[in-house]
Amino acid sequence: MIENRPGLNALAHLALIAGVVIVALPVWIAFVASTHTATDFSSGTVPMWPGPHLVENYSRMLDAGVSTSGTPPVGRMMLNSLIMALLIACGKIAISILSAFAIVYFRFPLRGLAFWCIFVTLMLPVEVRIVPTFQVVAGLGLLNSYAGLSVPLIASATATFLFRQVFLTMPDELVEAARIDGAGPMKFFRDILLPLSRTNMAALFVILFIYGWNQYLWPLLITTDAQYYTIVAGIKRMADAVDGLPQWHLVMATAVLAMLPPVAVVIGMQKLFVKGLVETEK
Amino acid sequence: MASITLDNLGKIYPGGTRAVGDVNIDIADGEFIVLVGPSGCGKSTLLRMVAGLESITEGEVRIGDRVVNRIEPADRDIAMVFQNYALYPHMSVRQNLAYGLKNRRTPRAEIERRVTEAAEILQIGPFLDRKPRALSGGQRQRVAMGRAIVREPAAFLFDEPLSNLDAKLRVQMRLEIKELQRRLRTTSLYVTHDQLEAMTLADRLVVLNGGRVEQIGTPLEVYRKPASAFVAGFIGSPAMNLLDARAVPHLPGTAHAGTIGIRPEDLSIAANGPIEMEVTAVEELGAQRLVHGLTGGEAITITLPPDAPLSETLRLGFDRGNLHLFQRETGARIN
Ligand SMILES: Nc1ncnc2c1ncn2[C@@H]1O[C@H](COP(=O)(O)OP(=O)(O)OP(=O)(O)O)[C@@H](O)[C@H]1O
Ligand SMILES: [Mg+2]
Repeated sequence: MIENRPGLNALAHLALIAGVVIVALPVWIAFVASTHTATDFSSGTVPMWPGPHLVENYSRMLDAGVSTSGTPPVGRMMLNSLIMALLIACGKIAISILSAFAIVYFRFPLRGLAFWCIFVTLMLPVEVRIVPTFQVVAGLGLLNSYAGLSVPLIASATATFLFRQVFLTMPDELVEAARIDGAGPMKFFRDILLPLSRTNMAALFVILFIYGWNQYLWPLLITTDAQYYTIVAGIKRMADAVDGLPQWHLVMATAVLAMLPPVAVVIGMQKLFVKGLVETEK
Repeated sequence: MASITLDNLGKIYPGGTRAVGDVNIDIADGEFIVLVGPSGCGKSTLLRMVAGLESITEGEVRIGDRVVNRIEPADRDIAMVFQNYALYPHMSVRQNLAYGLKNRRTPRAEIERRVTEAAEILQIGPFLDRKPRALSGGQRQRVAMGRAIVREPAAFLFDEPLSNLDAKLRVQMRLEIKELQRRLRTTSLYVTHDQLEAMTLADRLVVLNGGRVEQIGTPLEVYRKPASAFVAGFIGSPAMNLLDARAVPHLPGTAHAGTIGIRPEDLSIAANGPIEMEVTAVEELGAQRLVHGLTGGEAITITLPPDAPLSETLRLGFDRGNLHLFQRETGARIN
């Protein structure tokens, strides 16, 4: 906005503050709830300020977990989630960058068909193909394993398209200069394409890590062994207490813990992100 | 170093566009050849066929005495300088220069020696550890040439390497390229659409039109005796006047000619000269004055000294030896 009217400014700020409150309030409540005892929270009035039980609740969750819901300690579930999210993010990036490389730089028979096959998978996310995928994974004996958790989620059309777009913006002369400099296809990929896509890979990693971390339906379905529970699916199991009320203060503590790694990834990768936006390398 | 021979070279793009046809050029070892022609005449296509970046559909390219039609660009022993430099953006200048050598498994000490030497020749020593984006256009162009030099190839190929630079820098780099080539004596093939660049750089010029060679010769030969009306109009600045013979029927010594050519600098004011010119516009260039006008409905231009008297109509004379006569249909030279 070029105009600088105080009234408009105040209105804009008001709208933004309202937005922040709407987003932040549930997070705040979850945090507050995780610092009280079970009775404080279910007694009728919802407390708005943190209580005195923060250390107690969190250390209990990290060490022992909620025995009644059959979930392992939070630490174990966080580790499972981390492994799954990393496998998904890295696997997706590796597979899609290679397939984009093949599609953009090689003329091979049925190239068009391959491209369309990848395109069609866009319309088939896990939720749609969940039953047949479950059968395949069960048939391969991958239930209750890290491979079973991550492999079916790895094939990715979106990431392939993203890299295809990145590669298409590489000037032809760069490819030709590399050819004259004696770089074969794989050398070109390693020495030129990969370093030039670094920032795109970082951005994609953030998105895919959060995508993997937040997976809910698939882990819930294929893990029956508590050793492989992921944190997001674990929260659901905790909230499903069979006898009596769910222990909300502990569920909330888990939820707050579950939020931390994605936040850490976003903050940690932010620098590379911004660098990718500011630098105009190609 | 090597000679390059283009033998009946032709290119038809998939889809049927003919970009180049019947090109025969013998480039001697150490010669500087400039391919010049208007946009779209097939200069880049021709160069890229020599480089191996474009497949050859007709004829042969020989580098030294080896037919290279089916040989990969990297194995042709050539180096190319691109218009937009095509430097690797993520590598430092040093790495850019060394990359091709590294891929050829050149020993490290040898790479170091060649990079240092090239950096010295091109005066890019202070920038060796910078990334290309931290360089000016002229410096990037030097790095691009450095990348060609360190390879010590049999031939340099240039595709309009100066056209992204501003006019002043272009003149300076032009001289440097010429200097460099004299010093290294590497066979060079240089593409440009700028006829001034072509004239100053070339040992021999190749004028292309519509994918065909119109004329091959030294810059002076091409300037003094253009082989066709096209070449006559393309080489020289300001461009040669090309008059339809029917518009000036009374000129002596022009029988059988379809088109009569005379350079603006070969015309002079003469009280009873055979050409009458109606002045329409005057351009002051400082050292001289360009006067544009019409004669018999045809556009004509003359260069005059800055203090020459002007009037609405001028009578112009010329030396008969300076006339260029061309056939009407083919445009081929008659005299
Ligand atoms: N990949 C291609 N497929 C089909 N036709 C092409 C292709 N590349 C170039 N051409 C055609 O071939 C002709 C010659 O192109 P070329 O790029 O060699 O011209 P040029 O002389 O280098 O022009 P400029 O001075 O503008 O760079 C043009 O008519 C162009 O349209
Ligand atoms: Mg071109």
